[in-house]
Amino acid sequence: MPGVCVRTARICYCDQMQWSRAARWPLVFVAAAALVSLACVAYPLYVIRPFRQQGARELSAALFVLQIGPWLSTVCVLACVALAVYAWRRMRGWMRAAAVLSVVVAAAGAILARFNPYERMMFHPIRGPQFESANEAHIDSRDMVLAVRLNHASHAYPIRAIAYHHVVNDTLAGVPIVATY
Amino acid sequence: MWKRFAKGITFTFHLAGINNQNFLMRDDETGTYWQQISGRAISGPLAGTELDPVYSDELTFGLWRREEPQGTVLKPVKQDAGNYESRNWEAQVARAPTVLDFPASGIGSRELMLGVTAFDASRAYPVSRVLSEKLIEDRVGGEPILLVVGPDETSMRVFRARLQAGAPAPEYYRQTAHVDGTDVRAPLFMDAATGSQWAFSGCAVSGKMAGKCLEPVLALKDYWFDWRNYHPDTTVFRR
Repeated sequence: MPGVCVRTARICYCDQMQWSRAARWPLVFVAAAALVSLACVAYPLYVIRPFRQQGARELSAALFVLQIGPWLSTVCVLACVALAVYAWRRMRGWMRAAAVLSVVVAAAGAILARFNPYERMMFHPIRGPQFESANEAHIDSRDMVLAVRLNHASHAYPIRAIAYHHVVNDTLAGVPIVATY
Repeated sequence: MWKRFAKGITFTFHLAGINNQNFLMRDDETGTYWQQISGRAISGPLAGTELDPVYSDELTFGLWRREEPQGTVLKPVKQDAGNYESRNWEAQVARAPTVLDFPASGIGSRELMLGVTAFDASRAYPVSRVLSEKLIEDRVGGEPILLVVGPDETSMRVFRARLQAGAPAPEYYRQTAHVDGTDVRAPLFMDAATGSQWAFSGCAVSGKMAGKCLEPVLALKDYWFDWRNYHPDTTVFRR
């Protein structure tokens, strides 16, 4: 009953209610910080998806979030932890569980904000492209290549390969180039 | 194909996302995001910067190795080779849905086009038309150009049609005699002004202009929806 102080084994029930109420707002902020950290990952993932049309503004926003995401999510994790520690003693039961969950979510967001799914999961990059002579290459004569010639030097990139890797950072005749497909 | 330096920085690019089915790159050095088709930075510290294009061709391997016997080929990455596209990959991709359509153009979204951006204009040529006609004389931005199909009947190139700066472009004629598909120096077409015969390289192999070469024009083979999306003012060859 509100306003009624019931004395139990050593703790005043009224005190318990006051302590829990005092932990409410820190918990709200902990949860909010966790959601912000999660949004740093979720929003760009939602917008920048294959087979989904991207509007110019939402793409711009998603790219902005991608750029600030790593440090913003880190700040969120630190805020989550600091607030949870600050309010820990005032929390009971479900509040502590919620705080721990929020910290875990925030940490997951901070880790995933540094994860490039396009290169880690979908298309592996070429690190340090290697080349061979045409005689050594096992390529059908009818297969297509992307061919470039600079200063009497020539490189060919089989399209069936670069259609997977998409990006090849290369140097030809001393000129840094990037072959894309 | 782009030079990967600008503003005094040499970039290392990574695949970073997709924008209406054209991919985005991100450089390690500044964290800027670049659009693959345009070479333009669209977000980040260098937004608005443009990479310089590098002239490149899409050729059959057989034709390329005859043109460039000393050239070298990218080696496959062993652990990824199993993920490389199959031989009929283009037919498979042609059936994939697109996120953009331009129905008013009357052109299918996945129709392959040879796109030319030059002389302050953009123009798209249906690949099927180029391959069937083998030689097309046209203009882009008012400048006469020539589209030529190689002796392998698959590779395509575009050249500036004038023999000399300021001079009108001559008429060109495709060689009607059987062309040896393995000979990269085989004459494919001749010009009416000098009677010179020209090979797929764009260089004259006989006649008054022997040894002289036409100026190549960069062209991109692309799906119509993608070309049209990034070249909204493009015209289309429909003759």
